[in-house]
Amino acid sequence: MAISLKESIQVGLSDFWSRKIRSLVTVLGIVLGTMSVIVVLAMVNGINQQTLSWMMERGGLAKITVHRNWEYDGDGNERDYFTLKELFHIRELLPEAQFFNPETNDWGRITYKDKFYRNRVQGVVPDYQYIEEWTADRGRFISEFDIDQNNDVIVIGSTIKNELFANNDPIGEFVTFNNRRLKVIGVMKHRYLKNNFNVGNDNSLDYLNRRSFVPISTMVNKITGKDVINSLTLKAKSPEAAPDLADKLENILLNIRHGENIFNIESAQEEAQEIERNAQTFRMVFFLISIISLLVAGIVIINIMLATIQERTREIGIRLAVGARRFDLFIQFLVQTILVTFIGGVIGVATGFSILNIVSRYLEFQLIAYPGMVIAAIAVSVGVGFLSGIIPAIKAANLNPVTALRYE
Amino acid sequence: METVIRFENIVKEYNMGKISVQALRGVTAEIQKGEFVAIMGPSGSGKSTLMHILGCLDTATTGSYWLEDQEISKMKKSKLSAIRNHKIGFVFQTFNLLPHLNIRRNVELPLMYSGMSAAKRKVLAEKVLADVGLADRLKHKPSELSGGQRQRVAIARALVNTPTILLADEPTGNLDTNSGNDILSIFSDLNRKGHTIIIVTHDSAVSERADRSIKIIDGLIVE
Ligand SMILES: Nc1ncnc2c1ncn2[C@@H]1O[C@H](COP(=O)(O)OP(=O)(O)OP(=O)(O)O)[C@@H](O)[C@H]1O
Ligand SMILES: [Mg+2]
Repeated sequence: MAISLKESIQVGLSDFWSRKIRSLVTVLGIVLGTMSVIVVLAMVNGINQQTLSWMMERGGLAKITVHRNWEYDGDGNERDYFTLKELFHIRELLPEAQFFNPETNDWGRITYKDKFYRNRVQGVVPDYQYIEEWTADRGRFISEFDIDQNNDVIVIGSTIKNELFANNDPIGEFVTFNNRRLKVIGVMKHRYLKNNFNVGNDNSLDYLNRRSFVPISTMVNKITGKDVINSLTLKAKSPEAAPDLADKLENILLNIRHGENIFNIESAQEEAQEIERNAQTFRMVFFLISIISLLVAGIVIINIMLATIQERTREIGIRLAVGARRFDLFIQFLVQTILVTFIGGVIGVATGFSILNIVSRYLEFQLIAYPGMVIAAIAVSVGVGFLSGIIPAIKAANLNPVTALRYE
Repeated sequence: METVIRFENIVKEYNMGKISVQALRGVTAEIQKGEFVAIMGPSGSGKSTLMHILGCLDTATTGSYWLEDQEISKMKKSKLSAIRNHKIGFVFQTFNLLPHLNIRRNVELPLMYSGMSAAKRKVLAEKVLADVGLADRLKHKPSELSGGQRQRVAIARALVNTPTILLADEPTGNLDTNSGNDILSIFSDLNRKGHTIIIVTHDSAVSERADRSIKIIDGLIVE
């Protein structure tokens, strides 16, 4: 039987305190290692979370969008836009798409009495509100009937409502957009998402509040007079179904454009997976760097502990002379190394959290640290202590009492 | 009379690469319970080597050594720590106290390795330190004591486990005459109380106090 663990820990602790500076130098690597693991992982988690919640705000992971492929550089024989008729045809080919929203924009002044606001107006179909999970909270949104009838109606954004109507009720009033008189039938719900990066506006979604919506048929047939539709947004029944739907859509588009790669198809689910993959890669790289720095930290610890044991040869001789077993000395030095790295891990985690605290105060950036990270960081510190403590401890335990006592 | 120590034909050879030195070249002796034995001899004659073997700090190259009824020379090295802990009290010329522990903790050390509870060993250490006249210095570090006081701490540490034999290798070698005499008086007292004591010395005054002397010259016992 060896002396109790409590005894070993006491001996280790008093050694730690009687050599504070050396102990701190010993564990500097561990402190820096655990600290940076906590800080970097919390930041990666935070950025991921931020991006995902932005994507959720922008219509969720089942969303698929089609845009012109700006890298396409063909001979110009194929149309690089859709016509309304073409889009209704594509819709029929994709019954599994839950929602389907072609979109076209026009810029100009929306005028009401003596006031005007210059911004983008979008021609959309009713599905827009389901895809974007956003609709009018006063009056109503555009209906199928409006599309069929090319109705002269408009749904305005909350900022436009405030600019043009102040506190008056806009519903039923007429505004003019590019010489077309349009009846206001609704006001979109105000959108808000806190901007955590603290640049520009504090609302990341404010640009949406400045938009207005008209039926796509009205836009194409009466406002612009050009049957040109540049983008299309779809929503699959679930995020999991989105990649298949995107593939099918891609085939259809290639087909109607005779194999020319004119459009770009983006799936939010695939983007999210891409983000997750990137984060995973980053974590792997960071993990490898951490392993290497822990290895270096471990080697430093082995060296310092070997030097410590060298210095304490006489003490070891004395302990052996009064009856310490080799195992007692082995445990004493192993426990001491583990204790030192454990304390280093705790200091590292503590400084990591202090840094997170300060950084998040200045960045107003959401940093996400899980309890698991703390446990892992400390467990790894203890593991490094264990592994790098073994060799020095064996060396201490194998000293010959007489030689150790003679050591000057 | 009861024999405590018996050794026969002890040879100790130090191998240093190609050359080997025979520090002991076959020594034989017996020591009885309660004896006070002085070991004398010129420098380099092998006195410390013999003491280390008797104190189970080192093992003989050949020869046999019995301590009470146990044949130490046949024991595994791993067993020797228990023998050192329970049966041997060793006092060194250079005190060999742990500098960062106070003297009470220094004296507790052998008790800690024998597994005694903290409360018990505190009481025992304080008692033994009182016996050597250091009751008022328990919290002092070794560096805060005089040489003579340090050697008394070392004696307290050697006695605290009530060993079978007390070994001292030139215990007065680092002390002035007065404190040296104090230490020798402590050994004489302990001997009167029944302790078996073996002491290495250059000082013929010490050997006069002893029951008998063993003289070693060049690795051999000569009388
Ligand atoms: N570890 C060792 N390695 C090699 N030789 C050693 C070792 N220890 C002792 N010796 C040699 O053994 C011989 C006896 O040494 P020992 O220390 O026993 O002498 P001693 O009688 O105690 O001398 P002193 O009175 O000076 O203390 C010496 O020649 C010494 O050099
Ligand atoms: Mg000597």
